[in-house]
Amino acid sequence: MTEMLSDFIRALRAQDVRISPSEAIDAGAALELIGYENREILKQGLSHALAKSVDEKQAFDETFEQFFAFRSFSGGGGGGGAGAQSRDESEGSDETSEHDGQQGGAESSSGAMPGGGAGQGQGESSGESPEDAATADLLEILERGDRAELQRRLAEAARRSGVTDIRFFTQRGMYALKIQREMGSEKLDDLIAEARESADPAQQAEGERLRALREEFRAEVRDYVERQLALFAANAGRRLREEILETVRLTNVERSDMKLMHDLVRKMAKRLISLHSRRKKITRRGQLDVRRTIRVNIEYDGLLFHTIWKKRKIDRPKVMAICDVSGSVAQVARFLLMFLYALHDVIPNIRSFAFSGQLGEVTDLFEREEVERAIAETLERFGGSTDYGEAFETFEALAMDEIDRKTTVLVLGDARNNNAEPRADILRKIHDRARRVIFLNPEPRVSWNTGDSVMRVYEPCVDRALVCASLKDLERVVSDLLRTAV
Amino acid sequence: MNENSRPQGATSVAAIADIQARLEQQNYICNASIATSLFLAQSLDKPLLIEGPPGVGKTELAKAASAMTGKPLIRLQCYEGLDETKALYEWKYGKQLLYTQVLKEKLGDLLEGARGLKESIGRLHEFDDTFFSEEFLEPRPLLKALWEPGGAVLLVDEIDKADDEFEAFLLELLSDYQISVPELGTIKARSTPLVFLTSNNKRELGDALKRRCLHLHIPFPDPGLEQAIVRRRVPEAEARLNAQLVAFVQGLRKLDLKKVPAISETLDWARTLVLMHARELNADLVRSTLNVLLKYQDDIEAVDTDIPGMVVAAHKETEWRFPK
Repeated sequence: MTEMLSDFIRALRAQDVRISPSEAIDAGAALELIGYENREILKQGLSHALAKSVDEKQAFDETFEQFFAFRSFSGGGGGGGAGAQSRDESEGSDETSEHDGQQGGAESSSGAMPGGGAGQGQGESSGESPEDAATADLLEILERGDRAELQRRLAEAARRSGVTDIRFFTQRGMYALKIQREMGSEKLDDLIAEARESADPAQQAEGERLRALREEFRAEVRDYVERQLALFAANAGRRLREEILETVRLTNVERSDMKLMHDLVRKMAKRLISLHSRRKKITRRGQLDVRRTIRVNIEYDGLLFHTIWKKRKIDRPKVMAICDVSGSVAQVARFLLMFLYALHDVIPNIRSFAFSGQLGEVTDLFEREEVERAIAETLERFGGSTDYGEAFETFEALAMDEIDRKTTVLVLGDARNNNAEPRADILRKIHDRARRVIFLNPEPRVSWNTGDSVMRVYEPCVDRALVCASLKDLERVVSDLLRTAV
Repeated sequence: MNENSRPQGATSVAAIADIQARLEQQNYICNASIATSLFLAQSLDKPLLIEGPPGVGKTELAKAASAMTGKPLIRLQCYEGLDETKALYEWKYGKQLLYTQVLKEKLGDLLEGARGLKESIGRLHEFDDTFFSEEFLEPRPLLKALWEPGGAVLLVDEIDKADDEFEAFLLELLSDYQISVPELGTIKARSTPLVFLTSNNKRELGDALKRRCLHLHIPFPDPGLEQAIVRRRVPEAEARLNAQLVAFVQGLRKLDLKKVPAISETLDWARTLVLMHARELNADLVRSTLNVLLKYQDDIEAVDTDIPGMVVAAHKETEWRFPK
């Protein structure tokens, strides 16, 4: 596989296109077959091998345009004199592109150009060629205004300085400098310094001219590095943010991060759905699958040796969520509900209840409205000082009959009851009827049972009591819910 | 990988153009993307997963490829509950039962003169057992495709409608062109078939499946391509009518409809218009024939008020090419 292809794949991965090694090998084989002559066909071929969904195709198209705009095809856009040379390049690469297209292209084309000898040497074995020649070339190229050659050198130098590892915008300067050095800019600097110190006005004018050229050159390099940054690091910053947001306490999430949080929840939910969307089957003893039994027992002359039982696909879990929406818990409730409703494909039966002062069902509200609006309305309707006892009482009246062996009940709250009656007996009743009761508390375990928290009363009445403060915790809870929900 | 047998570089580009031309001979007009995917599938021996909205010619591509290569098309339509006895093989158990009975009768002859149990068992062992042999195997589409001596074009249609288990079960076939029959061992393809899978994206396909395939997404065609398709399939439609009707359909696809018209519907509509001796699009004509394009009453009603405007737009779009 060529260096260029692996760079390209890295750029794609940076754009969230998932590429496995086997797909990379396919792409290599496709590249070997197709070659570089026809840009459109190259693009299509790689796209067939690498991008495997509509979203990925789109990301692929964008990345391809960016990546190959200044790579193998850079000569094409390089203005006036570059056109003919770039044609040379593509024709030249016909013959040599079998194994290493980019290298081959660079060699054969620079061989055809005056003063390209040093470039060739560099391409073959970096660093061995005499530095003088490189510098002279740089100056010469700049003076000639040969952008195609300059771009080629630039790509070559960039590869040597490892610019594809760039991750943050603060690294731009460093890489630009590295590339300039690689291309022999120091010699140019010396020349300029020399010219400035001399008293001869002609010399000084020459120095000015060189300086202008150097400025142009520097701008070119800066441009190049910026494009590399866009290619290879576009998502690095976002990823870092996501990583942080996954573990930060939900109560501390800034308003400005809400959109990102939404996306994140959706992403996590998607992951969970793909993990759990496989329906489980259980065997129902007692009902013979006649057709398959006969088929299997043909071997034994029709004697029923092995019996095969009919299978039944198991039902999806039923989930009831009772969420405290007062004060700080509201934030966590928001994400829990968001998560649960994003999982609609795998958990079709969700009923949600919200309470603070009173309790009410909000299932319809969340199915109908946007999460933000639904939350706001919920808070408006059920706000007030928290009373767990009363909430449980209302819940008993509302939904107790609906709870059966398949139901998992999630209670989310900080168990701070304002010294009112906790009514743990109702919770126990729920526990007796339901498959499982899970208490989620956003407070860290050490502050449970401090002040007016009645966690110690509730804890014995539930199957599990968990801390649930960050998105990561939430994912763990929901994933656990799906795994064991039978 | 044998490098010499493979076309490279410029030859490949020519080969792709050739495929495009040969598909056109089969009345399948396509762009470079589709031809490239077919070329890669053929030369890399990889299955081709085709996705796209309904009616853009996913299944047609497999048929055209079969006609183009002259290999038989073997089609497997997927649905929920499809299992290996319907997709892969089934034992002919009627015959197997008969065989055991024949065997029973022969048993006397076989064991005649054998002394003791040991010798009898010895003789039984010598006896060639054909109970589980290819003779009693009833091939279903997948096995048929592997057995085809000259290679075949295998079309697994609407794979997204099959269960996850079936998808997993296909993996062995897709990556190694072989399948395992527990009683017999693995059966390898006599000649590598060209495999097409199509999907309407009813559910997300597994990564493992996608990884093993080349992926082709066929979107709705652009106006130029669609005109070429209409020209080829409905040559009776005049060039101006062709351009106008395609522009109108393209406009429809931008609207928010329950079901947007696909290529097959464009073709039907073109035929309808030709039958009505239309030479140009106008609002009344469109209204009276719209049910060919749109299959839901809601859609037809929703579009109704927009028709005159869209017809004018279609005229405008094409008038530079066909001045009055």
